[in-house]
Amino acid sequence: MDIFLQQLANGLTIGSMFALVALGYTMVYGVMKLINFAHGDMVAASAFVGLTIYTQVMGQATSLAAVIIIFLLSALVMACVGVILERVAYRPLREAPRLSAVVSALGASLVIQNGIMLIWGPRMRIFPELVPQVYWDLGGVVISLIQVIILALSLILMVALYLFVEKTRMGAAIRASSIDQDAARLMGINVNSVIALIFIIGSSLGAVGGLFIGLYYRGITFNMGWQYGLYAFIAAILGGIGNIPGAMLGGMLLGLFNAFIAGYVSSTWADAFTFILLILILIVRPTGILGERVAEKV
Amino acid sequence: MKKYERFGLPIFIIMMAILPHMLNDRWQAVAITFLIFAVVALSQDIILGKCGMFNMGQALFFGMGAYTTAILNNEYGWSVVATIPLAIIIPALFGIILAGPIVHLRGDYLLVVTIGFNIVFVQVLQNNLGGITGGPNGIFGLDSLSLMGYDLMSQISVYYFAFLVLLLTLWVMHNLANSKPGRALHYLREDQLAAESIGINTRIYKIFAFALGAGIAGLAGTVFAVQYSAVSPEAFEFIQSVLFFSIVLVGGSSIPGILLGVFVMFVVPEIFREFATWRYFIFGFAMILAMILRPRGIWPATFGKIPKFLIKDSNHGA
Repeated sequence: MDIFLQQLANGLTIGSMFALVALGYTMVYGVMKLINFAHGDMVAASAFVGLTIYTQVMGQATSLAAVIIIFLLSALVMACVGVILERVAYRPLREAPRLSAVVSALGASLVIQNGIMLIWGPRMRIFPELVPQVYWDLGGVVISLIQVIILALSLILMVALYLFVEKTRMGAAIRASSIDQDAARLMGINVNSVIALIFIIGSSLGAVGGLFIGLYYRGITFNMGWQYGLYAFIAAILGGIGNIPGAMLGGMLLGLFNAFIAGYVSSTWADAFTFILLILILIVRPTGILGERVAEKV
Repeated sequence: MKKYERFGLPIFIIMMAILPHMLNDRWQAVAITFLIFAVVALSQDIILGKCGMFNMGQALFFGMGAYTTAILNNEYGWSVVATIPLAIIIPALFGIILAGPIVHLRGDYLLVVTIGFNIVFVQVLQNNLGGITGGPNGIFGLDSLSLMGYDLMSQISVYYFAFLVLLLTLWVMHNLANSKPGRALHYLREDQLAAESIGINTRIYKIFAFALGAGIAGLAGTVFAVQYSAVSPEAFEFIQSVLFFSIVLVGGSSIPGILLGVFVMFVVPEIFREFATWRYFIFGFAMILAMILRPRGIWPATFGKIPKFLIKDSNHGA
């Protein structure tokens, strides 16, 4: 029972990081029907940007205000990178064959990943201890302050995003663009700015996810983006790609699944089990858990 | 395209036939690598370019062939040549088994599932399933190539082995372009619904493409295992699949385009060794640029004997 509760806590923590990253994938896919392969590397880049802001800009301060500034600045930087990425690598290919955009996304991923390597070096870097190491022992289950912060902040961000997309005019524009871009354009929606907005939101959420990864795992490497990105993408598919609550649910479920595999089976097989789960889901229910049934044959 | 088939291809073949005699050891090894990866890229083209299925797990079949040869040679003492049939058949069978339940998936889903296959495969190798894959270190100390009592261990003979495999692959691709299955794959890629309605069994042909591509990649795997007389999991990581995937699409899914892509991706970095750390950074930019300037690839493929007046745009293909 202890293992179960402990892995539940770990799973929810990992899951909320997956969910934050998955939102970036699912929003871009929803509107552009493109797997943004560079998103995972943006997440990794955010951890390194946060590291640099901490050492260079903030002078290694770890006060609450400093931590908040690190998060905001990192999100801002990554939002800018996201908008530039869309402008340079994706916008020229919007009318091109689908696969061209996929190759462009892979290229962007290589550029960002190796850009990180060229700037920060190929070796693992240690992310600063921004949050004090506080642990609570709840009858055999150890929960850290970091876990609580990650979970709480992720939930707040997700609820905020959900309200933004469902209740505001801009959110309605996003939803309209993801249903039918041409019709949305005819209704007077500026699809280009909707896409830019999506990249801003997705990249900033991914940036927060990247900082969480740094805080939680401590060691950050230039090529970690692929791994987290892939997991987050699976989470997005699991929940039904293009579906925002689906990405949140998928992220949480995948985090729990991973934690229980690591707790009860073996962490060396975690990747294999995750992909076997994905393959089974795609065979049985290709549109994911919350995805709507589409008329098009999948 | 016709010009290329009549002049370009024979010149390329003759050049490659005499090439190893003009190179030193290091460049011979590079040339062998070029031949092997060209074969894998062409096999990927059958699945991705000819049939239009988003397969991003080609390194799996490549690795399966390499490991088949390595395991049979190392554990069971088969000669390398004797492992060739199985190194083709086993990946092809896996191609059929794996593709069977997933070929109906829509493009992007297929992409992710094939990535998944590749990652599961590498994890199986690393965890040494069944105690025969040698774990993270792989298997080393394979026998050299020998045929009918002759020991062909020199690098030149490995080169000609690889060259033979490339010629075989080019021959298969040529026949594919001029045969019923090849036309079926082409229609299938252009419009699946239309292909189905003129009586093409799309499911069978998709699985066929996977089996053919997997078998050829498996054969390339054997050559790879022979070249290094070793195999290890990281040679078949899915980043390799990403490279093959990109080569086919940037090349435009035509034979010269793909060969050019393999050359740029695997030979050029050997020339500019001092820029090794910049390699993927530059490739990334090159991929974006190539796609923006030529969305259908640098050298777009044209198909078979379709009369000119039927082709609306000259950029037909990809």
